[in-house]
Amino acid sequence: MSALERLYRRIPALLMARRNLSRNRLRSGLAALGIIIGVLAIASLGMFGTTLRTGATEQLGDIGNEIQITPNAEEGFERLTDRDVADIRRVTDEGTVVPIRQRTATLTRGEDRTIATVYGIENPGALYEASDGQAPERLRQGALVGSSLAERLELQVGNRITLDNESFRVVGILEQQDGISLLNPNGAVIVPIESFDESGYSQVVVRSPSGTAANETAVAVREELNDREEKVTIFELGSITEGINQFFGILNAFLIGIGSISLVVAGVAILNVMLMSTIERRQEIGVLRAVGVQKLDVVKMILAEAGLLGFVGGFFGAILAVLAGLVLNQVVLSDPLLTFAPVNLMYIGLAVVFGIVTSVLSGLYPAWKAASERPVESLRK
Amino acid sequence: MTATSIIELEGVWKRYQSGTETLEALKDVNFAAEPGEFVAIMGPSGSGKSTMLNVLGLLDVPSEGVVRLDGSDVTDLSDEEMTTQRKDAIGFIFQDFFLIPTLSAIENVEVPTLFGRDPTARDRGVELLERVGLGERIEHRPDQLSGGQKQRVAIARALINEPRILLADEPTGNLDRKTGRDVLELFTELKVEEDVAVIAVTHDDQLRQYADRVVNLVDGVLTEEGRPDELTEEFGT
Ligand SMILES: Nc1ncnc2c1ncn2[C@@H]1O[C@H](COP(=O)(O)OP(=O)(O)OP(=O)(O)O)[C@@H](O)[C@H]1O
Ligand SMILES: [Mg+2]
Repeated sequence: MSALERLYRRIPALLMARRNLSRNRLRSGLAALGIIIGVLAIASLGMFGTTLRTGATEQLGDIGNEIQITPNAEEGFERLTDRDVADIRRVTDEGTVVPIRQRTATLTRGEDRTIATVYGIENPGALYEASDGQAPERLRQGALVGSSLAERLELQVGNRITLDNESFRVVGILEQQDGISLLNPNGAVIVPIESFDESGYSQVVVRSPSGTAANETAVAVREELNDREEKVTIFELGSITEGINQFFGILNAFLIGIGSISLVVAGVAILNVMLMSTIERRQEIGVLRAVGVQKLDVVKMILAEAGLLGFVGGFFGAILAVLAGLVLNQVVLSDPLLTFAPVNLMYIGLAVVFGIVTSVLSGLYPAWKAASERPVESLRK
Repeated sequence: MTATSIIELEGVWKRYQSGTETLEALKDVNFAAEPGEFVAIMGPSGSGKSTMLNVLGLLDVPSEGVVRLDGSDVTDLSDEEMTTQRKDAIGFIFQDFFLIPTLSAIENVEVPTLFGRDPTARDRGVELLERVGLGERIEHRPDQLSGGQKQRVAIARALINEPRILLADEPTGNLDRKTGRDVLELFTELKVEEDVAVIAVTHDDQLRQYADRVVNLVDGVLTEEGRPDELTEEFGT
């Protein structure tokens, strides 16, 4: 006896269900197709949402982990002092404090002249990586050049550049910064902070290991520095990323909602098919009841039919959804394997479960209707 | 009626309400059958024969009166209990066979046991099909069988749970004389060897010869036709 046959022995409703479905293959196929489409719609729209979110998060980079502290000019504060920086350092639990001086300068390299933003940063290594040369933890001499500026001026490590009147050796070219950042270095030059002949800082950036830590730091700094007067303005993007995450959550729910509509339509199709087929089989069901098959067993049999349609539809829907996910992630994120991210597997599983549940629910009414007809009635023609 | 009856109707009425009219399909029917008895129910079309058979087979409930199965009142059983009684005690043979087209002969025979986890059902089914001469047709679907063969599958199905009562509506109606006789021989065998009560509705005079007793149903009223010897007795005195 084969495994399938044993299964049929164990669950006779399944045997009857399979036979009944194969009676009108086209009709059963079309009903299953509805479920396939519904499952595919839910799963692939869910995965589409994930892909969008991943893409957007990549764009945003670590923005949520940074806060920016600037003096509040409206209240007459033009610079942050060494004491302010020390206070910030003291209240920062986790994260690196990066005080920054800033000016614009005329950059000269041979014949080329251009206006560039110059940042004075003591520890640029805390914020940036170099694609060429290095971004040192302590920048004592030389200059780091942003990627687009370096490209424009064809600068390489070892070249010399002049900022206003001062000459610097290029010690590193910074990596291209893709994400949105509070301090975009792509078109700027970073020099040792001591090369500025001024005191105080134009801003302080705190880079934390996580969004939560950044938020905690922001709160602590606000408490410390803005205790008596509004000395500083604190700009944090954590709330923005949170908002963006929330937005994608809503978008996903919306997309899945749209997908669910197609599943509801599929459910109606199954309801229709099951109703038709039970009406056609009225007499047969009457015979079953007459020879001693219980009402509940008839219900089980018809629910098994509906469930089988849902299972088959869900199975093929899931396969198609995986294929769709592979294509989508290849095209949008160039990484097809992202399809198998846990969230996506959850969406697929959810869609299949929805598909089966929808089918069984749709079978409920026809099953109940067919089983509760009295056999004498159904056997009369 | 006698205490030995396996099935019994007492004062049974069946009324059908259609609009304002009430149709009385059975009028105060009293009937009993004993184990090992072959009773033929005869009567014109529309006289209530199928209705009576349905009441006997616990497929339908009377509007009034009592049905007893093996001495106990089964008139007011729940649907579930009636279904169980039908399964255990009663074998039905329908006029139109009513086989399930998607199932093979053996599966059709097994249908009454299908949901019961009955490990010996398959063997009993094969044995029954062999007994009705269909040992070679076990895996055939109904559309691959002739009318007589279908009827024999239906008979095997009725016997799968070793019923004590066999109810047949026109069991020979769709069969030629020869096949009909085979079926009737089988009924006789069952009643003699297994003490089954056979109750058959018929128009067939051939069946009449096999029956122990014939009752007539005319317009819902049941009358005993009497055995030939009783008849002569009546006319003799
Ligand atoms: N569900 C029903 N509703 C209304 N009337 C019914 C119903 N079932 C049977 N009848 C009526 O009851 C009467 C008896 O019907 P029944 O089927 O028992 O006749 P029968 O003797 O079996 O006839 P036949 O020999 O043609 O099969 C008929 O007049 C029929 O129209
Ligand atoms: Mg009839």
